[in-house]
Amino acid sequence: MNTHPYLRAYLAGVFLPTLVLPLLLALFIVVRIVLQAPVPIERAIIFPMAVVPSLFGLWNMLYLASHERTHLPIGLHGAVLPLLMAPAGVLTATCLGVLEFSSHGTTWFQALYVPYALIAPCFLAALAGYYLVWKFIVGCLNRALGIA
Amino acid sequence: MKKLLQQALPPVDSDAAPGRDLWPAVKQRLDARSDRTQSISPASIRWELLDLALLAGLAAFAAFLPASIPVFLYYL
Repeated sequence: MNTHPYLRAYLAGVFLPTLVLPLLLALFIVVRIVLQAPVPIERAIIFPMAVVPSLFGLWNMLYLASHERTHLPIGLHGAVLPLLMAPAGVLTATCLGVLEFSSHGTTWFQALYVPYALIAPCFLAALAGYYLVWKFIVGCLNRALGIA
Repeated sequence: MKKLLQQALPPVDSDAAPGRDLWPAVKQRLDARSDRTQSISPASIRWELLDLALLAGLAAFAAFLPASIPVFLYYL
């Protein structure tokens, strides 16, 4: 198990987003086709499909490369990722018309309104969620693949 | 019956010894057990409580603002 540690780190990183993506896609299709909600699925799915899994994999490779020097726990390492992903996601969503800004808040997927006052709590919740995901899921996979 | 048993179980040489030194393996197992015991320390319990508190906070936040759930899924 000492061969290709970075490949194993990448695979451990992409595991969760790859697992979630089909469920997300199914959910979006149900909302769009069954419930007839005007959600721009084809534009909304680009970021979770193309960017998130790759970023997770690359971030786990970075963890493997830097852990010897930083000794940062994997949960904290994962909690840093939203600092990169949040601007990237917002930029992508804005460019694709998935996210719209108004005077009092943001509208996601042309359906979900999130006021500006709740952006900071949302970001903190994302940090907490990423901390837990990386500590318990990616960390567990790293141990299972012999790279922790 | 006695003969059959004696054939099935050959006599053990009283000077027989294991082919290798077993003490390092025993010591390794004892050390591993000691490490496991130390890992259940008050500090680790505090961390577990923090994790549970974060999980509960996330669940409460999602219940308070359900519109945030698809946005979180967008980032996963």
